[in-house]
Amino acid sequence: MAATQRLSSVLAHLNPLSESTGRANVLQKNPDDIVITYAARTPLTKAKKGALKDTPIDDLLIALLTIVRERSNLDPSLVEDVCLGNVLAPGQGYMARSSVLAAGYPVTTAASVANRFCSSGLLAIQQIANQIIAGSIEVGIAVGAESMSTCPDDGAPVLSTKVTEHPLAGQNLQPMGQTSENVAEQFGITREMQDAFAARSFQRAERSQKEGWSKDEIVPITVSVKGKDGEVKEVLADRDDGVRYGTTKESLGKIRAAFPQWKPSATTGGNASQITDGAAAVLLMKRSKAEELGQKILGKFVAATIIGLEPRIMGIGPSYAIPKILSKTSLKVEDVDVFEINEAFASMAVYCVEKLGLDPEKVNPRGGAIAFGHPLGCTGARQVVTALSELRRQNKRIAVTSMCVGTGMGMAGVFVSEH
Amino acid sequence: MEFVTTGYSGYSVKYSPFVNDRLAVATSANFGLVGNGRLYILGLTAHGIVLAKQYDTQDAIYDTAWSELNENQVVAGCGDGSVKLFDLTTGNNSPVQNWREHAREVYATSWNLVTKDTIATSSWDGTIKLWSPERPSSLLTLPTHSCTYSAAFSPHSPSIISSATSDSHIRVFDLRTPASASNHLVQLIPIHGAAPVPGSTFVANRPPPTQPAEALTHDWNKYRDTVIAVAGVDTVIRTFDLRNPRQPMVQLRGHEYAVRRLAWSPHVSDCLISGSYDMSVKLWTDGTVAGSYGAHPNLRSPRELGSMEAHTEFACGVDWCLFGAEGWVASTSWDSRVLVWDVRSVMRPHSYSQN
Repeated sequence: MAATQRLSSVLAHLNPLSESTGRANVLQKNPDDIVITYAARTPLTKAKKGALKDTPIDDLLIALLTIVRERSNLDPSLVEDVCLGNVLAPGQGYMARSSVLAAGYPVTTAASVANRFCSSGLLAIQQIANQIIAGSIEVGIAVGAESMSTCPDDGAPVLSTKVTEHPLAGQNLQPMGQTSENVAEQFGITREMQDAFAARSFQRAERSQKEGWSKDEIVPITVSVKGKDGEVKEVLADRDDGVRYGTTKESLGKIRAAFPQWKPSATTGGNASQITDGAAAVLLMKRSKAEELGQKILGKFVAATIIGLEPRIMGIGPSYAIPKILSKTSLKVEDVDVFEINEAFASMAVYCVEKLGLDPEKVNPRGGAIAFGHPLGCTGARQVVTALSELRRQNKRIAVTSMCVGTGMGMAGVFVSEH
Repeated sequence: MEFVTTGYSGYSVKYSPFVNDRLAVATSANFGLVGNGRLYILGLTAHGIVLAKQYDTQDAIYDTAWSELNENQVVAGCGDGSVKLFDLTTGNNSPVQNWREHAREVYATSWNLVTKDTIATSSWDGTIKLWSPERPSSLLTLPTHSCTYSAAFSPHSPSIISSATSDSHIRVFDLRTPASASNHLVQLIPIHGAAPVPGSTFVANRPPPTQPAEALTHDWNKYRDTVIAVAGVDTVIRTFDLRNPRQPMVQLRGHEYAVRRLAWSPHVSDCLISGSYDMSVKLWTDGTVAGSYGAHPNLRSPRELGSMEAHTEFACGVDWCLFGAEGWVASTSWDSRVLVWDVRSVMRPHSYSQN
């Protein structure tokens, strides 16, 4: 008896690392948790070619926000703020507030814009969550949306000579493609490694699409498309159109370099993210509020963080942001069930997976931006919608989402599925 | 130098405060899980460590402390809850006092360093008890309501007693305060970080700075009367200043498993040693000694100075020799060995603060 108790006492002393208290902590359910009660995205379609090519940002927003209003089973007058993550649209502020009103929300529903390039969608989620945590609002919607067809990415504007002559700030003139080649060169990420990663992204997206895994993340929307003859037709956009079936490492190996001017010229149209249109939204509130309103809780927002790094290798931002958010949440890499890391380029994705020692099976199980596109402002929110859906499918709990950010940053967030 | 306590696993070792060549070692058969205990009194000679005396007990011995008053008396804390006072000058092996009040394993014994007339013991029964060598029953009981692995008198005050407990707190008791519902408790310090206060910017989603973990050992700094080092299951050694204990001053990381015992140097105010379940005994500086590093300002940070890896089982007992050249220590382990060594032999180059 005494011996057993002494033994268990000594065993408890030896147990500092075995039970993951971080995971237990993250999985706790408390009334002041920030929870997600609705999450959805539009299909992602190729810029200039796909079903959304003639849908301007406001129409895209109105379509998605209308769906959120209709399907969330929530009185729209309870939505106090909508934060739009968007990078490229001129007049973003007009677009955000006007679309909210036109989508049927009352005049009391406010709107704002979040822009930190490719992390804008996640930043929007963080902004809404922070407002709820701080008590500024009780219910809010974060939406990420980008119409790259109608608002093309023209790169950096004209900048002061104080910027261009600055050793760090001046790096922001480098186009994203160049930063990808910088990563490949500096860290020895070969063309073969990149093509292999990209092929796997396509293969996973193909499987996901064929087996219908994305059904509960995508909401079809009806949009107007201008045909070649100028005739405008209504079509139903209901699937990601960037996934090329049957893609292999070998087939990607035949594609010519996209940036022959920058060594090692390993980045191609096949192993970089596609230029795409799309939108994603999540509805956020405290758990206590969700329970009071009878809202079904899909998951919770745990935390998010941001970190900067040299702009010239901006792609490896997740390799800094992910450890930072894991340490803030006392999680270990093994505690995480799914990683959604934006595939801006295969070069940075390969580096991040290897640097962090991630299990490749856990990273982007449905493929990523290489296979179905990267609408800049949408991606951050899209990855959360995808991660929650994938956690449900696998019956797992914890997802980390992360992306590299142009001008040299990395953002990461932790989400829990409560399916 | 080495002494083998055949069949008995070492739990604690203490240098005599009177002479530089005598050690008391608390040991237990069967790793202290079940069976007898044995208290070894060892002499350090030019021909190695020799056995001077040994006392056998019915149950394991987990800690020992020399009398600060009588160089021939030594106290032992036992697994059956008894606290035994032995006198080396008596002919037989029976204790001169055998207090049976603790309900469970006694894990710590500490002799009052200032008035030298009282003993504190702590037990898994959730209490600290105070004894006088002259009296047959305890003077006072201080409840901690938590398995108390470590209790110690302040070396600076006769009436201050501290404890480290499995509930992840340091408690400080001041016997000068009047007896009341607080039982002389004057400070309760959460080792894992202070609780949020209303109106602060604490966010529920943010985890506390660290997770609570059982505290197994602590010690008062011998030079700075408000500084305590504490460590335990989470492997991190923390130092707290009692004047502002909301967060640790220093966190020393390096042990791979729980820290079982730590002791501040009696000679150097910034140095301490620690014994751990990872089998190592490590030497640390808390980085507070400025100036003595001369041209190495960036070496002043808190850090590990060296590690002694000779033990092959849990290193449970460590103590500094008060006499002679600074740096002599003794350690004991479940590997049934008592080692006497000089910390300077395990230090890395440029790492020691003194000449």
